[in-house]
Amino acid sequence: MLRGRLSARSVVDCWNTLEQKLRGARVKTLEVDVSGVDFCGGAGFALLRYLNMGKMTPGAKVSIVGLATGFQTIFEGFTSKDYDAFHPLDQAKSHPLIEEAGHATRQLIGDVRDQVDFLGGVAANLPPSLFNPKRMRWPEVRHVFELAGANAVPIVSLVSLLLGFIIAFESAQRLAEFGAQIYVANTITVVMVREMGPLMTAILLAGRSASAFAAEIGTMKVNEELNALETLGLSPFRFLVVPRIVAGILVAPLLTCYSILMGVVGGALVMLGLGFSLELILHQMALSVRLGDLAVGMEKSLVFGVIVAGVGCWRGLQTEQGPSAVGLSTTRAVVTSLLLIIVADACFSTISYFLKA
Amino acid sequence: MVISVKDLSIGYGDRVILEKVNFQVRRGEVFVILGESGCGKSTLMKTMIGLNPPQSGEVWIEGSNLVAAVGDERLRLLRKFGVMYQSGALFGSMTVLENVRLPLDEFTDLPKPLKELVSLSKLKLVGLGGAGSKMPSELSGGMQKRAAIARAMVMDPGILFLDEPSAGLDPITSAGLDLLISGLSHHFGITFVIVSHELASIYAIADRIIMVDCSAKGIIAEGKPAELRDRATDPWVHRFFNREADASHSVQPT
Repeated sequence: MLRGRLSARSVVDCWNTLEQKLRGARVKTLEVDVSGVDFCGGAGFALLRYLNMGKMTPGAKVSIVGLATGFQTIFEGFTSKDYDAFHPLDQAKSHPLIEEAGHATRQLIGDVRDQVDFLGGVAANLPPSLFNPKRMRWPEVRHVFELAGANAVPIVSLVSLLLGFIIAFESAQRLAEFGAQIYVANTITVVMVREMGPLMTAILLAGRSASAFAAEIGTMKVNEELNALETLGLSPFRFLVVPRIVAGILVAPLLTCYSILMGVVGGALVMLGLGFSLELILHQMALSVRLGDLAVGMEKSLVFGVIVAGVGCWRGLQTEQGPSAVGLSTTRAVVTSLLLIIVADACFSTISYFLKA
Repeated sequence: MVISVKDLSIGYGDRVILEKVNFQVRRGEVFVILGESGCGKSTLMKTMIGLNPPQSGEVWIEGSNLVAAVGDERLRLLRKFGVMYQSGALFGSMTVLENVRLPLDEFTDLPKPLKELVSLSKLKLVGLGGAGSKMPSELSGGMQKRAAIARAMVMDPGILFLDEPSAGLDPITSAGLDLLISGLSHHFGITFVIVSHELASIYAIADRIIMVDCSAKGIIAEGKPAELRDRATDPWVHRFFNREADASHSVQPT
């Protein structure tokens, strides 16, 4: 017999007592008298239904008696049939390896097709917008330029300056063993101009801007703003992608130049600390870099800018429906940008080695 | 009185939306907060449920002031009511059953089979008996709102706050939701506080209405739906209940 309140709290004690007494016991008939129950919440009804279904006393005939009329209606509102109708989530079926491989290949082909589609869209929309100023949304380009470029100046300054410090200190230790510390200036300049300046800027742009582009366009897609553009007869490529790619092409080389400058300043500060004169440092720096080195750095930064902006927009356009879709696109944008930046950088290094540039 | 709102002023920053509002909600009634779009209905509800701190005033829920409550007292008060948000706000990464079971998992020591039974019975109650294993994205808008109601009432709260339950639903689904609200109020004695501006739904379910207005920054009408429709003296209330458009909104060909 159950008495008093069957609330979520009291049901726990009740369950423990019943478990102790009924589990394992050979019960053929169980009659639960609830005439003394004056409150029965959802947990109470669940306990009665659980007992009634014989889950605690398998094989026994269980009856619930003495339910007040109001409680009876609620109790009968959820039956063992309703319980049986619920099937927990099917366990994820294990797929054979070949099926998994098939899925992965299909996904890869779909991704490549998407990339080609995207490149086609950019190729079709970029030149007309560039050659016809009226088609280009310059206010949007300015806005993106400000967000991706001007607002990134503080972080680029800090990272590049510290990078210059690090390279200078690391190389100074090694070169000191050969009495060649003066060449720290050459090392910093060449490394920053040809490699670290463009690369660090691109990495920062990927973290800040590729993710922002993907999130912005992805949210627009989820909110059906892209559909609205389409039905207004406006191409999302011309409207959203082209301004971002143009801004990316403009902002990456400028930020790279700034990054190189800050890196070199960082290195120069270390060298000044090591006792070299500013005149000597500048002389060494000027000797170490040729115009070709700067051209390589700028070429890299241009390509990295296109990669960052393009991948950000592409992943944004790929956004699907669902609460995690935008987050997924953002992550993909950053990961893909970084991957392509490194691949492009490796290509540049290989080509310039063979061309002796 | 299950809820008493006393001298409540709400707004954002220096901007006051509603000033010194007073009203009470009786136990077991379906109480509707009504008003035009952007007049502060949802903000008022968010203040009543403790999401939005008021500029001044008090919200008493079953004898305790939620505005002043902190720590465990606030948690205790929060468990006295459930909330259904306009979009349903189901967690997309969980199944419908997991969504409904979440408060039980977090706040009770019930054994797992009972938690499942409670959740399934609440889903059955809102007409979603077979939807437990589905993901929220697989449900229609009306079904998501029903599932959200099931989640809001899984801890057996005495009060349910619903934000725009009929918004964006077709008339049949909306009428079904109205039936559910009336049924829950009638059979379980749940007190409903509903923010809405769907007249058909309001006539079907509301026991009492308050109407808030931005220009008056307060309540301009209070009473039963039929009373307000037939005997409203305020011209704006009369226009609202009789669906009379503002002449300034008509198209003027030039």
